Amino acid sequence: MNIDLTGDELAFRDEVRAFFQNELPPQVMEKIQRGLRISRDDQIAYQQALHAKGWAGANWPVEYGGTGWSATQKYIFNNEAATAQAPRIIPFGLTMVAPVIYTFGNEEQKQRFLPDILASKVWWCQGYSEPNAGSDLAGLKTRAVRDGDHYIVNGTKTWTTLGHYADWIFCLVRTSDTGKKQEGISFLLIDMNSPGVSVTPIITLDGRREVNEVNFEDVRVPVENLVGEEGKGWTYAKVLLTHERTNIAGVASSKQRLKRLREMLSEPPLGMPNLIDNSVFMARVMETEIELKALEFTELRVLSAVSTGKAPGPESSILKIKGTEVQQMIDELYLEASGHYALPFVPEQYEEEGDGIVIEPHFAPNTAPHYYNNRKVTIFGGTNEIQKNIIAKAVLEL
Amino acid sequence: MKIVVCVKRVIDYNVKIRVKPDHSDVDLTNVKMAMNPFCEIAVEEAVRLKESGVATEVVAVTIGPKAAQEQLRTALALGADRAVHIDTSAEANERIESLTVAKLLAKVVEEEQPGLVILGKQAIDTDNNQTGQMLAALAGLPQGTFASEVKISGDEGDKKLQVTREIDGGLQTIELSLPAIVTTDLRLNEPRYAKLPDIMKAKKKPMDVKSPADLCIEVASKVTLLKVESPAERKGGIKVGSVDELVDKLKNEAKVIS
Amino acid sequence: MDFALNDIQQMLQDSAAKFIQNDYDFETRRRLTESELGYSEENWKLFAELGWLALPFDEAYGGLGGSLTDLIVLQTELGRGLVVEPYFSTVVLGGNLIQRHGSESQQSELLERLIAGELKLAFAQAEPQCHSSITDIETSAERSEEGYHITGHKAVVLGAPSADLLVVAARTSGNRGDQNGLSLFLVDPAQPGVTMQAYPTNDGFRGAEIRFDSVKATLLGEVDSAYDAIQATLNDAIVALSAEAVGVMEKLLNATVEFCKVRKQFGQPIGKFQVLQHRMADMFMECEQTRSMLYFGAITVAGGGEEASHAASMLKVKVGSAGRLVGQQAVQLHGGMGVSDELDVGHFFKRITMINTLLGSRDEHLQRLIRNAQAA
Repeated sequence: MNIDLTGDELAFRDEVRAFFQNELPPQVMEKIQRGLRISRDDQIAYQQALHAKGWAGANWPVEYGGTGWSATQKYIFNNEAATAQAPRIIPFGLTMVAPVIYTFGNEEQKQRFLPDILASKVWWCQGYSEPNAGSDLAGLKTRAVRDGDHYIVNGTKTWTTLGHYADWIFCLVRTSDTGKKQEGISFLLIDMNSPGVSVTPIITLDGRREVNEVNFEDVRVPVENLVGEEGKGWTYAKVLLTHERTNIAGVASSKQRLKRLREMLSEPPLGMPNLIDNSVFMARVMETEIELKALEFTELRVLSAVSTGKAPGPESSILKIKGTEVQQMIDELYLEASGHYALPFVPEQYEEEGDGIVIEPHFAPNTAPHYYNNRKVTIFGGTNEIQKNIIAKAVLEL
Repeated sequence: MKIVVCVKRVIDYNVKIRVKPDHSDVDLTNVKMAMNPFCEIAVEEAVRLKESGVATEVVAVTIGPKAAQEQLRTALALGADRAVHIDTSAEANERIESLTVAKLLAKVVEEEQPGLVILGKQAIDTDNNQTGQMLAALAGLPQGTFASEVKISGDEGDKKLQVTREIDGGLQTIELSLPAIVTTDLRLNEPRYAKLPDIMKAKKKPMDVKSPADLCIEVASKVTLLKVESPAERKGGIKVGSVDELVDKLKNEAKVIS
Repeated sequence: MDFALNDIQQMLQDSAAKFIQNDYDFETRRRLTESELGYSEENWKLFAELGWLALPFDEAYGGLGGSLTDLIVLQTELGRGLVVEPYFSTVVLGGNLIQRHGSESQQSELLERLIAGELKLAFAQAEPQCHSSITDIETSAERSEEGYHITGHKAVVLGAPSADLLVVAARTSGNRGDQNGLSLFLVDPAQPGVTMQAYPTNDGFRGAEIRFDSVKATLLGEVDSAYDAIQATLNDAIVALSAEAVGVMEKLLNATVEFCKVRKQFGQPIGKFQVLQHRMADMFMECEQTRSMLYFGAITVAGGGEEASHAASMLKVKVGSAGRLVGQQAVQLHGGMGVSDELDVGHFFKRITMINTLLGSRDEHLQRLIRNAQAA
């Protein structure tokens, strides 16, 4: 039993580390250092820098321009990215729709969509949830009716993350009402510029626009935008969910956040009270560190199984739940560490162009909005309650 | 005298078997594997014969994928001296039928020229109960199946094997000339626990790896597995308060007595 | 990176699991705990034969040179069987102390007897005023021309009633709380001046209060310098105990899941109720997280250094919290049967609860971690 990296893996780690130190686009680097928000352009610049390096398709097969990285290499990459506080990769194109296209799409779809996704030339968003189909996703009602060589799409998708940035949306739509409800669902790619598509902001608790409602009113979608077979969309979406589990727990970024918190505790900024003397608070810090350490090793156990060619064991099913729980525990620690400086609501101080007042310590006013916003993590991607249902059924066989 | 003992890698008998959703086969993903319990008894008997001075060498043989070497290591830890692995990893066919197994073993017997071959009477995964008998036929050797007791007597060069067999309604004792084939029943012996020092030594004992092609045997399947079904679900047990209640339930609910 | 058991560990696990299954069922174990001795000498001989008593010791003394990872494989299985033979006190504590701190001749003589199954040990360390501190020792040893004599009170010494020899931590110089001035002694418990008040523990083991009144004692290894050996041994012991805890917890989870599949109320198995399914999912997650933490602990403690004690404390905190949840919920979900003495579940619950009190509880280790962070 060991957690040692091989010589090749260590060399790879150094290469990734050097990239994050030296090759990030300057505007992205600067914003990270100043603790500013990343814009749409920054995000694209970052992902294109990865693409230039050949690292955009971390999970992709080599034949489509992917890296062909092993599970361990992906783990190393995620760790280094988190250490450098690099922006997260927006998953909808690179890690969500692309695998469906290269696994189930036809040759023409692969050639049409994959290169632009890999080069981050096209921004994708996800159209799964609906106002009346959340955890019970298969109950979705957005309908695609065949009309010659087009589908006519009507319905509403919601919680569409960064839908207002997106050029394309991949949707689960209902193409049939007969049989099991899962069997009437198809996987459709829709151009956001099509007539009849409208995007309405949903403001979240942090006062920001991150998610949207997307409406489809008689939107004509060419049938060649259907991926795979009609009625198989549910299966495709499920396959995607089961094979894309890397970094689902967010261990690397949680480790970074805890590390920065600990650094701050040993040198409190600007005469703030020294929370390290508060044993009640420190008990929470320690318990969070312990939970995260356990989770890190749970993730390594999964990784070790995958990298030695075995199927991940049942422990993989806890990554999402525990990972998001730990993230929220850390959010609360930051909230406490900010003290009353959690109160000022000054979002503009994190914008590049912000000319409003600047409240110090700089991190503090963002902790409450982040805490509010991040309640989402135990809700999205299958609520943690749904995850427990899955454990009960699939692992415990209850 | 040399003893060849055959072992098979099967799903551990404590594991609850899961059938694949498409019923094409049993699901082996992350399932604990172990030595077939009847094979353990075979190994134990061989090792005891060596310890009592009857045998001089115990050779463990298995046919299976690379991972089956784990079971050979177990046999070595239990006291076998060396092992032969016939590696079927490269075969297109995962299921090696009893007859093919027997043919492969017959080749091993031809090479090793043992005085005695011990096998489990059946493997708990396919429950065929064929390999020992087929091997006896192919090798042209006498067989004592379902052994509950094995005794070897006589002088070197003129040894006789007495096998007590569990048959319907009693015990049958037969005498065989050597070399011979024995298949083990449950009550032949109680296998020992592997000792840690022996486990460590097992790593250093020799293991020969051969392919079916090396033995000039073609692994072709003539039987196709069509479907696997799980057994009907067992109902939960209950506790009864008295003998009367038990009798009542046996009569009126289970309807097994009248 | 690899977390799979190697061949040797796999065979050790199989062989130990088979022993538990064939020879250590719950009723057998109950009879052992109710016997006068409290365990089986026959089993102890078998452990010696199987090489379990030799596992962690150097090959130079007839040991097998096993790693801490090998030890946790065995300990987890012993946990699944709630094994009450004094393996922990003899091998994990006493034997390791001798290996770490004994003189060359003490190591070879004592370890050889231990490995042969002829020597059982107990580590007399804790005292009434301290649960888990290594340095808070009042028991003292005086040196005279005839050698050392020990005086003091040792609390809850596990395995003491069956021990042939006690390993006693005593102060030879310095003050309470000092790292320097701690020494280890070998004491024959049968000699005059030793008062042993033996008792069964709540979880089926045996322990004792021991008072030493100027008792003749043999110095183990060098004088005044036992702190490092004690600390390293206790770190190993935390890992070993946590491995046992993982075995106990996984057994509790499995028993609960199986029970909930067959126990029917309101016309269906209670495992169909979502509130109970989520509870069992929580138990499952805690078992897995504790197992992960055990791997972290085993790897880090084996690496030694300052990290070792930190990791051991983190592990013990996790075992305490997770064990509490898994144990309590196992009993809860078994309903009335959970609190009956008849069913094994309650006995696994007893053990997991007592494991928290051993070698420093969750709260003690949490406090230790906080103090270290504050002192840094």
